[in-house]
Amino acid sequence: MNGNGHRSANGNGNGHRPAKLRGYSAWSLVQHGLSRGDWPRTWHDHDMRDSYDVVIIGGGVHGLATAYYLARDHGITNVAVLEKAYIGSGGSGRNTAILRSNYLTPEGVRFYDRSVKLYENLAADLNFNVMFSQRGHLTLAHNDASLRTMRWRSEVNKHEGVDSDVIGPDEVKGLVPYLDTSPDTRYPILGALYHPPGGIVRHDAVVWGYARGADANGAHIHQLTEVTDIDVEHGRVTGVRTNRGRIATKAVVNCTAGWASLISDMAGVSMPVQTFPLQAAVTEPVRPFLDTVVVSGTLHVYVSQTDRGELVFGASVDPFASYSIRGSLEFTEGVAGHVLELMPALSKMRLLRQWAGLCDMTPDYSPIMGPTPVEGFYVDVGWGTYGFKAGPVSGEAMAATVADGAPPEIISSFGLDRFADGRLVGEKGAAAVGH
Amino acid sequence: MSLTTPDPTPTTTRARPGRLAPQPGEVIDRRRPVTFTWNGVTHRGFRGDTIASALAASGERVFSRSYKYHRPRGLLTADFLDPGCSVQVGDEPNVRGGHRLVEDGMVVSSQNTWPSLKFDVKAVNGLAGRFLAPGFYYKTFIKPQRLWPLYEKVLRRFVHAGEITADVSGGVPGETFDKRYAHPDVVVAGGGPAGMAAAVAAALAGSRVMLVEEEHELGGHLRWGDADDREALRDLRAQVAAEPGIEVLTNSVVSGRFDDNWLSIVQRGLPQVFERLIKARAATMIVAPGLIERPYVFEGNDLPGVMLSTAVRRLINLYAVRPGSRAVVLTANPEGDAAVEDLRRAGVEIAAVVDARAGDTVVRATGRSEVTGVELSTGARIACDLLVTAVGWTAPTSLLNMAGDRPVYRPQAARFLPDPQRMPENVLATGGIVGDGTVTELVAHATAIGREAARRAAARARAIGEAVPTRGGDAPALPNPDPTPVDVPVLAPADHPELFQGSTHGFVDFCEDVSSKDLVIAVKEGYDSIELVKRYTTVTMGPTQGKLETVNTVAIVAAATGRTMAETGTTTWRPMYAPVTLGALAGRIHEPVRYSPMQSWHERHGATPLVAGQWIRPEHYGDPAAEVRAVRTGVGIIDVTPIGKLDLRGPDVAQLLNLLYVNKWSKLGIGRVRYGVMCAEDGVVMDDGVTGRLGEDHYLMSTTSSGAATVWEWVEDWLQTAHPDWRVHVTPVTTAYASINVAGPRSRELLAGLTNVDLSADAFGYMQVRTGAVAGVDDCVLWRIGFTGELSYEIHVPASYGLHAWERLMAHGADLGVQPFGVEAQRILRLEKGHFIVGQDTDGLTRAYSGALDWAIKLDKDDFVGKPELVWQQEQGVTTQLVALQPDDRTTVPEEASQILAADGRIAGRITSSRMSPTLGRSICLGQLEPALAAPGTVVTVRLVDGRDIGATVIEGLAHVDPEGARQRV
Amino acid sequence: MMLLPCPWCGPRNATEFRYGGATGARPDPVSATPQQWREYLYTQTNPLGWSREGWYHRAGCRRYITVERHTGTNEVRSALDTATEDG
Repeated sequence: MNGNGHRSANGNGNGHRPAKLRGYSAWSLVQHGLSRGDWPRTWHDHDMRDSYDVVIIGGGVHGLATAYYLARDHGITNVAVLEKAYIGSGGSGRNTAILRSNYLTPEGVRFYDRSVKLYENLAADLNFNVMFSQRGHLTLAHNDASLRTMRWRSEVNKHEGVDSDVIGPDEVKGLVPYLDTSPDTRYPILGALYHPPGGIVRHDAVVWGYARGADANGAHIHQLTEVTDIDVEHGRVTGVRTNRGRIATKAVVNCTAGWASLISDMAGVSMPVQTFPLQAAVTEPVRPFLDTVVVSGTLHVYVSQTDRGELVFGASVDPFASYSIRGSLEFTEGVAGHVLELMPALSKMRLLRQWAGLCDMTPDYSPIMGPTPVEGFYVDVGWGTYGFKAGPVSGEAMAATVADGAPPEIISSFGLDRFADGRLVGEKGAAAVGH
Repeated sequence: MSLTTPDPTPTTTRARPGRLAPQPGEVIDRRRPVTFTWNGVTHRGFRGDTIASALAASGERVFSRSYKYHRPRGLLTADFLDPGCSVQVGDEPNVRGGHRLVEDGMVVSSQNTWPSLKFDVKAVNGLAGRFLAPGFYYKTFIKPQRLWPLYEKVLRRFVHAGEITADVSGGVPGETFDKRYAHPDVVVAGGGPAGMAAAVAAALAGSRVMLVEEEHELGGHLRWGDADDREALRDLRAQVAAEPGIEVLTNSVVSGRFDDNWLSIVQRGLPQVFERLIKARAATMIVAPGLIERPYVFEGNDLPGVMLSTAVRRLINLYAVRPGSRAVVLTANPEGDAAVEDLRRAGVEIAAVVDARAGDTVVRATGRSEVTGVELSTGARIACDLLVTAVGWTAPTSLLNMAGDRPVYRPQAARFLPDPQRMPENVLATGGIVGDGTVTELVAHATAIGREAARRAAARARAIGEAVPTRGGDAPALPNPDPTPVDVPVLAPADHPELFQGSTHGFVDFCEDVSSKDLVIAVKEGYDSIELVKRYTTVTMGPTQGKLETVNTVAIVAAATGRTMAETGTTTWRPMYAPVTLGALAGRIHEPVRYSPMQSWHERHGATPLVAGQWIRPEHYGDPAAEVRAVRTGVGIIDVTPIGKLDLRGPDVAQLLNLLYVNKWSKLGIGRVRYGVMCAEDGVVMDDGVTGRLGEDHYLMSTTSSGAATVWEWVEDWLQTAHPDWRVHVTPVTTAYASINVAGPRSRELLAGLTNVDLSADAFGYMQVRTGAVAGVDDCVLWRIGFTGELSYEIHVPASYGLHAWERLMAHGADLGVQPFGVEAQRILRLEKGHFIVGQDTDGLTRAYSGALDWAIKLDKDDFVGKPELVWQQEQGVTTQLVALQPDDRTTVPEEASQILAADGRIAGRITSSRMSPTLGRSICLGQLEPALAAPGTVVTVRLVDGRDIGATVIEGLAHVDPEGARQRV
Repeated sequence: MMLLPCPWCGPRNATEFRYGGATGARPDPVSATPQQWREYLYTQTNPLGWSREGWYHRAGCRRYITVERHTGTNEVRSALDTATEDG
């Protein structure tokens, strides 16, 4: 961290040893069941200090993971996470919890592959079962152009060591018998990009696990704490103002989604983002019949079935920018129509609930991560529709950025300066529906 | 009413649960018995029975097993919301047995019970319940991590729900789903006394009204009331029936309210249509759903035989079902008291009436598979088979929340009530959701609200009508609404004791098996906001979506956190208010498909169809390589109707073209065509095509097929928003013409006999345009252009003559061996010629210089769209370059999107197009490549999809065939 | 979806329109610096509040209209024909 002595990636400058997270196991569950004693609090409430070494804005998976890795990897523990509602109330609790790393560009694939690797070990690392279910991920192709894009992705994936390949309609049918793979449908299934390590995770558990880990390591999680302004003097961050008072700090990390540009504006940094609602919906449960995650870019829909038996649906962002998350009827009509194109047998399943979250869309469908022209003001924003997948790797990389004062290689393509330089990231080529 | 002296032992002769003698308000038709099966056993009921009432009349008490602990569950509410009564009906899962009417031959079964409803082995979960605390799965199955997939499989086996059993590929034959659009003045959500009165008042005030009722008939709680209620109901029904302005929709629900009163109404039970979604843009909506009775939380509150007072009153009065033999009734309100009277009349022995208003309550219910006894706060233990609770009401405010309202908790009334200050102008509320009163008071309030809704609807109609400038002078007169708001009498909520949980823990969410203890544990673990409790315990996330559970949850969380209920707040009410089938939301699926006028010919001649966006096109007619050879050696024709076409007229067209294309257009003479490339403002290639000048101020522009709509809007955008002063008129004519490309060395010969246009090389040269007759059809446009690299003419024929022209070309060209060719042959031909395809050989970041378009880009123009980026790209050099490549192994065709590797193994480019060239007898490619590797003669490494690497050589230019262009200039 | 009050057609469902966003003024293409031009390309305003934005009535009169909309509530307070500035 600039000027604060902790420069090395593993230098626990203040002698902090990462807390060993334990306490949750089948055995402890039995013990608690027998004794009927209370479990310890998962995280704690604290009075707000006058100053923190690092203030993280946004108590979602990105902010909490950043706090966790600041402590675990860099020994930086005098950290506050400010959350204006409750933790996980934003995109972290509203996404459809799909994880994958089958992106298009080598830098994108490497980045998300690191995230999947971290997710694979997250339950053990956090001593909190996040229920990562690597049930496979299928992206259907209905025309030769999308088949070509799937091939492009699989070739780059393979080159980067990620398990991903294009499969034909018969194999697709084998994986998902309920898909209508007959050739005479309006959108015939010509093939699919199959990505076995992809799957779904319990999104709230990821938030709570990181919160518990950050809390155990000394970070303060302040819920119901809204940032109202950011103090900048002579081009440097000096503090953060909140509805609960001012905090002095030299390092602020903007880990918000939906509010990325509004928070950055407070520091005087313009963000090339537009905020769009992204909607999702869930059906009543039925007996499990769908193992893999199914995505159709052409039909703008993605489907998975939870362990509870519900089908979870998502689509692309709403057609116009808005901060309203009331949702629309057109979304559910569209998603139902497209799901029935793919799986006509589901017509009597009932949609139970719809909801929406906010997505900060960037011009090149890639995030904005790293330092900004204001010293001490870091951003981890512009996550579009894929922020949840990147939570762990973003936390790890942002912690390193703050500790070292410079972004690590893995996020070097995602800097804010790329827009002024005209060096956009090529994910745009594949992102019809990026789930 | 005070606590009656409890009688701890039942009398010896009791009336058994079952069907009663006819009741005055019953809805069953005893002359029409129906037969259905329940778990394979035949049962009887009457028309008008719900599945639940028919089974209850047969003495059935257990309807399902619970979600987590597989506990036996019976009837609780005996209506749509009943959490214990989701059943499978034929191929339909999760049917609400408390709502769905029985039909003859219906096959009904309980869901996910093994081996049977009466003995479910998974019920051992109940014994392990003390270990299955909320969030137990977050705390275990952590190590070893590789075992989690196995654990997960076990968890999935326990999913408690119906099954999808329909034919996998075809859905359900013979059943349709449907949609309807409606523009009513007033929609009334709820057909109880208030809803009916509001609808009548609005209709009398001149509004067109939709009255939507979830149950099978109008009336709400009056239906199971006393003789006075039935009299009032008859009167209100008569008033509704007398109003032609009211459309009554029963068995229908307003499931959502979206921006600007866009309402989704799901209509069920129609003949032939399984479910219909009505999309209504209502000028005003009146929310009148009445009240939902709230369960009470105590130990054993989920046992079969524990029911709400409205459930027993429904069973007795609507279905003539005796719900038990010996009852204990816990009551805190007049409705509970009325239930006691109903039970007595039905011959149920009243073992005790516990009056909560006097401070007495129920401690626990006991029993294994159903309730057998009750322990009271007095310490008394009473044997019974029915425990009825009447402890309060929940206002179902969902639709108001969706409209932006934030209901406020009122402790005196023990319920959340709408905040009138936050209600939008176009939403009103009446009935129980607002307050309590006699039928007369409810009707008075609703009548005023109905009139006010009509007044606001009329005001809105007038405001809209006045604002539309195109409204004709002879349009009917606009309504002239009264400017004074209607005086609405006060409808205050009655006082009610706050009763949520007794002294023991019990179930809060019956769908999700979440107990009050689970909520307390969650709070203690730090999940202490209502939303975190919900997510951690899944309370309110089941099929009833919190309608029964939310207020109890708020109360218990408030108590556990030491906050008030108002501070605790509720979780967000989201659409849908009632679940809607995917079929109804989808409606009849209309995915538009476009065909050219020649489609019938293609089908008759064995064309293989290709889905190209909305268009279905011939991919080939059997042998694409043969089609290519025919074009290279003789003549072929292809249907290119989907090519986008814009007719541009006006003196400023050349200026427009100069702005939108990277090329220059000011010197294009009449009778000439030019190829042009369009970029967006970021310099990225967006579209290409040719444009011909037909007259002084008249041009025909073509676009790519997929870009037709985008380019049209793009042209309009620049004209309307940047240059409204330019005089250009744009007409999209894509489907006004059928387009045929006649290509090959003998194309001139073929066409010569069919047109009055002079085709000689001197009279009609390369890149020129003529108009004339083709095959006797006047007003055709002929372009001499060469996408295939051969002499070719693209003919645009008025669409209705397209098939005629095509057939004449085929007939006339028979001697020449004319060959129809499809999209695949065209792709090969253009690849041989090195013509790129926007979006295939370029991508979303390819600026024009990377498309090898140096020759077309005219940086000396003052301005064109995207120019600054291209200036800078030219200065700085490209980062990727379009090149033509030939694999060293002539027989290997690298799949499109194969990656090209640099010497250090890095990805340095990719193959964008590849085919076997029938003309050259070798594989050919286009690719995007780093400039360092793009020099002609460079050998690069191509990684094939099977992992092998092959060499490929970059060739000079992009054309594999005829690089000089001699063939197209003849 | 919300209604947009098309100045030619009256209030219509927003699904009839294509959203064009709140584009800024086009810089002079001859003198613009890369910084200025890319700000125009990529950094549009993203307010939580009233926003002036373009919509195209693609399923109606095919006119571009300029709409003032509140991005928090989707309330619309004005809509003018972009070319003629007629309401």
